[in-house]
Amino acid sequence: MIRPALSISATMFGLLAFLSPAQAKVGSCDEPILLGTTISETGPFSTLTDNWKAMTENFFDEINKQGGVNVASCGKKIPVKIVIYDDQSNPSTAVSLYEKMASVDNVDFFVGPDWTSLGLPVPTVAERHKIPIVAANVATPSAYVRGLKYMWGTPYPVVPLWSQRYFEMLAQADPKPRTIFFVTHDNPVMKGITDFWAPKAEEQGIKVVGKETFPADAKDFSAIILKIRAARPDIVYIASFDNVSAPLVQQMRQQRVKAMGVHHTMLTGSLARQVGKDIEGMTGELAWYPGVGGKHSELVGRVLERSKVDMFESIFTMARIGSYLVMVQAIEKAGAVDREKVREALTNGTFESPPGPIVFDDKGFPTSNGAYTIQIQNGKVVVVWPQQTGKAVWPAPSWN
Amino acid sequence: MPLDILAQIAIGGVLIGGLYALFAFGLSLIYGVARILNFSHGTLLAIAGVLASILYGALGASPLALVAIITGLALAFFLFGWGFHDLLLAPLKRRNHFEASVGTVLTTVGALIVIGDVAATLAGPRPRNIPLRSDVIEIGDVLIPVSQAWMLAGIALLTVVLQLVLTRSWYGRAVRAVTQDHVGATICGVRSRAIHGITFGLGTALAAIAGVLYAMVYPVDPYTGFSLTVKAFTIIVLGGIGNLVGALAAGLFLGVAEAFTAFFWAPEWAPALSITLLLIILVAFPNGFGNTRKA
Amino acid sequence: MSRVNDPVAAIGASAAAARRPAPFVGAIVATLCVGAIALVPLLGVPYVTSLIFTLLVSFILAQSWDWVGGLAGYVNLGHFAYYGIGAYAFSIALAAGVPAPLCFVMAIAVVSTVAAILSFPLFRLKGDYFAFATLAILPLSELLAFNLVRLTGGADGVVLPPKYVLSQAFYTALAIAACTFALTVVLARSRFGYALKSIRNDEQAAEVVGIRIFPAKLGVMVLSAAAASLAGAVHAWQLSYIDPPTVFGLNVALVPVAMALFGGSGLLWGPMIGVALLFSIQQALLVNMTMLHATVYGLIILMIGRFMPGGLLRSRLVRSLPALRFLSREIHLDRQEPSRSTSTTRLPLPERKPSPSSELLVCRGLTKAFGGNIAVNNVDITIRQGEIVGLVGANGSGKTTLFNCISKVYEPTGELIFDGRNLAGLRRDQVSAVGVGRSFQNPRPFGDLTVAENVAIAATFRPGGPALPDALSEAASYAAFVGLGDRLDQRADSLSLQEKKSLELARALALHPKLLLVDEVASGLTPSEIRRFVEHIRDIREVYGITVIWVEHIFSALAQVVDRLIVLEQGQVIADAPLAEAVKDERVLAAYLGQVASKEGH
Repeated sequence: MIRPALSISATMFGLLAFLSPAQAKVGSCDEPILLGTTISETGPFSTLTDNWKAMTENFFDEINKQGGVNVASCGKKIPVKIVIYDDQSNPSTAVSLYEKMASVDNVDFFVGPDWTSLGLPVPTVAERHKIPIVAANVATPSAYVRGLKYMWGTPYPVVPLWSQRYFEMLAQADPKPRTIFFVTHDNPVMKGITDFWAPKAEEQGIKVVGKETFPADAKDFSAIILKIRAARPDIVYIASFDNVSAPLVQQMRQQRVKAMGVHHTMLTGSLARQVGKDIEGMTGELAWYPGVGGKHSELVGRVLERSKVDMFESIFTMARIGSYLVMVQAIEKAGAVDREKVREALTNGTFESPPGPIVFDDKGFPTSNGAYTIQIQNGKVVVVWPQQTGKAVWPAPSWN
Repeated sequence: MPLDILAQIAIGGVLIGGLYALFAFGLSLIYGVARILNFSHGTLLAIAGVLASILYGALGASPLALVAIITGLALAFFLFGWGFHDLLLAPLKRRNHFEASVGTVLTTVGALIVIGDVAATLAGPRPRNIPLRSDVIEIGDVLIPVSQAWMLAGIALLTVVLQLVLTRSWYGRAVRAVTQDHVGATICGVRSRAIHGITFGLGTALAAIAGVLYAMVYPVDPYTGFSLTVKAFTIIVLGGIGNLVGALAAGLFLGVAEAFTAFFWAPEWAPALSITLLLIILVAFPNGFGNTRKA
Repeated sequence: MSRVNDPVAAIGASAAAARRPAPFVGAIVATLCVGAIALVPLLGVPYVTSLIFTLLVSFILAQSWDWVGGLAGYVNLGHFAYYGIGAYAFSIALAAGVPAPLCFVMAIAVVSTVAAILSFPLFRLKGDYFAFATLAILPLSELLAFNLVRLTGGADGVVLPPKYVLSQAFYTALAIAACTFALTVVLARSRFGYALKSIRNDEQAAEVVGIRIFPAKLGVMVLSAAAASLAGAVHAWQLSYIDPPTVFGLNVALVPVAMALFGGSGLLWGPMIGVALLFSIQQALLVNMTMLHATVYGLIILMIGRFMPGGLLRSRLVRSLPALRFLSREIHLDRQEPSRSTSTTRLPLPERKPSPSSELLVCRGLTKAFGGNIAVNNVDITIRQGEIVGLVGANGSGKTTLFNCISKVYEPTGELIFDGRNLAGLRRDQVSAVGVGRSFQNPRPFGDLTVAENVAIAATFRPGGPALPDALSEAASYAAFVGLGDRLDQRADSLSLQEKKSLELARALALHPKLLLVDEVASGLTPSEIRRFVEHIRDIREVYGITVIWVEHIFSALAQVVDRLIVLEQGQVIADAPLAEAVKDERVLAAYLGQVASKEGH
């Protein structure tokens, strides 16, 4: 029975062998700033993170090309290194990896992760180790009301601002839409959007004539479409992730759904490719689009081009880049590679990003990230509100 | 309730039911003949869909390309399945019953992980489909998309062909012999191992065809496989192991039942139906019903 | 699932059984190991703590799965659902303000109830159908979690207070894991565990030796579910947030199963080694490979499945390394003191005095049909206490079917009265308890258990039977009686056919039957062996007062000892008379004894 003891000890020491040698001391001016993050490169969420690893590496490479981050207390620019692991879309794996980055890799700060299921467990680790974390695509408000002092997030867009510009556009639309039907994907963020914007629509004088929810793996939408056809709304508002709604859009076309406008909260290149020409005339939201300009838009544009990431395809990218931008600016604002100073800089801070300023409230929730309204016109993506590169065609062509 | 609404719901259900049945054919054959629970079945289907989508884009989007893709993929997957069985699964049969079952589970689960990951790495994890712009047949107020009507016709034809093969050809007779009495069939000169291998290949080819047809209607990605496998299991139990017509009937029934559940109750409860039915059927008929084996 | 003919394992089993170290050494080492693991959080590297925590949770899941899978032989593919439901029960309670310890209790309570309820429908199924049905439980649970929004929060999940509880969760998980392993050791050596092992080998035979099947299966399912629920609860505690895909996701559901199978299902160290290795490999790949790490992981699982399906610990590689051999050892109990039994020692059977006038078994109008085939057709027979009755007939005449009817392996129509009790409606184990013992024509021993264990099981499960250690001592006597005295530590599936038949007899005797049904034991025996066997039968009746019905083809064997002969043809009794008369009966001679009678020279 001595042998089991030896075996267990051997296993444990084997596990301890995963410890890489300790990294830089926090706050040193001679070592690069070390950031840590995980990306869902495998697992169910990997469909949303195409090429993000390359994009991340390119982003910090671009920053380092300019010398790095300007740290006042060191009197110079300091380059940035980032440690990237794959969290496998799994919360448990993510938590372990952030522990590793905190206690073994000794990173200075955290950026990421994404998604609600990771964005709720991971920040408790950051809180424990008192490491500021700027999460990326964590949009559920419930993640921000837990009293955590070291967490911020940069989801694009946030639920209260998601369709703000779209409804602004509708207010000016002529002929006036009078009724709206909400079709929602059973997902916290999408349901949050419907719950927020349905009353807003009513306030604007557009009556809500239907609300239907569908599960993520729904294939046959006949039931919902029959209800839409019965209600004859002026607007069909689809609050859904892109891929799960491809059959919905296809079947809406096949079953001859007619409306003045069909809006989608996540109109992406992936959806457009799957649906083909049927997507013509639909409106959607986009966090940002090169050509729209904005602060640091050149940097971001270069990064996207180098890593071949298309904002229209990979709609969550802006949030990721946002978290990197915020972190870099926070360090500059703090003037030192010091966790507490950076925390102060982040609290209630305002930071620049291409779509507009990111303003954190006292919970770390960004209050100012709205989206641009786009429309597919002749197969192309056109930003229609605010009127940047195009004008909306109303009522939408091919749906009327 | 107006008749055309009921009809529309039923049509939607039939169309998706046909697809369900197609998933299940391959698995029904494999399980019925070789008694192998192939956990990677759904993943193979998804990969076939992904490959078909890529090829469709590369070969130019024409119906001829589609036919070529279906034939090519079916053949490729047939060979893959046969090889997979002969190399990895057949040697396990020589071991004792416990190790054979365990080995099959581990091998097919391992294959599931490997195939999914390799495909995601090579083809990207994004969902893909074969986008078909389709006309609609109108019968009164009821709309039937033409592409799906063709798909259903294709499935029905496939069922008939398969059923004929199983009942009339030498292969079919050998398959039924092996299913009913393995040892007896071997004594009569049937090369059981070859039959198992060919059947596994055939089942995999059917999965590939199902994958292509699936991608014509819904998006697939390398990770969608396993939930499809679970649904396929449901159908083969409902329809009877090894019974293709039964699987078709079960699939259609399930599709229509889910459609009605979605309409009259709520869409989010529709998937619960198939699982609940499966459990009820299994409990009421612990040996499955409509199956061709003696109890 | 039964395991057949593995001579290497048999040798290993018999050799290793003799070398077991004293139990208290094991307890000390176990305490030291647990103590060592308990030091991990104090190392000050939370990464390692979180890794080992996850490993402990995986272990709890894999080991609890193996109680149902490896011990009882039922592959529960939906085991992960218990983990998820436990996580939800815990989280909902914790979010509602219930103190944490109570939340664990709630998790166990909820999941045990669910498992108990599910056992009723699920255990009507066998083998692959059981696997299908359990597999379906998982997406069903996920669906319920999504849709019962008011209870579970639906897709929003359950948010727990963001307290950093890694240390507490770690120690809780360690405690649960230690208890899980301890329970595994206890189960392997307990009467309950042996009931499960019998079920694993041959459920019908288990019933026939007196084991109540359903309560055993229910018990192990509830136990397994309770442990899994604790794993889910403690994991949810650490994560501080759960949603349906996280705890019910199909992509992670099969991992604990694969880990248990990888190490070696049914072995004491199997799940632990499987979990430790696979988890470490997975982490190493994750951290050191930039892509395709899942592919490598899947390949490893695939290779093990293909080349070492019994699990790593059953592979020739591990068994050949002296340092590791102890891991492959199967647990077989043996008696404490050396055997002094020989074939002439008295058996620990009660000596009954049969009264020849009382009827022991009465069959009236007994009929059993399979579809159109009437195997037993309106049979009327009466067996008195103390008789030895021979039952003969051509192949297919219904002899074994008749035995099956009497021992309730089949349900016949007609009247069946044993010792004054109507057997209608009795289960097989109850029939065994009232005193019917049988051997099977095709021997059905519990293959992966030793000779001693096989017999001991029958002894311990009879009403008022001894506890296991005494049952094992008894078993030695029975085994010696049938000539298997020097084979006690050998696995039953490594015996020859003859020896298995002897084992059947020994096992049947251990039930202390009033009526012994012996099914074709003489074929293949030499004449002297037959004579010895006949002596046994005579002793069984003379000394112990057991009534015997003996089905046999070798008439010369029967002729030496039976009082009466019943002849069946096509399911009907065509003769029922004392031996001397029956052999002269025209119909009997024509139907059955024709050639044999002419050979009768001795």
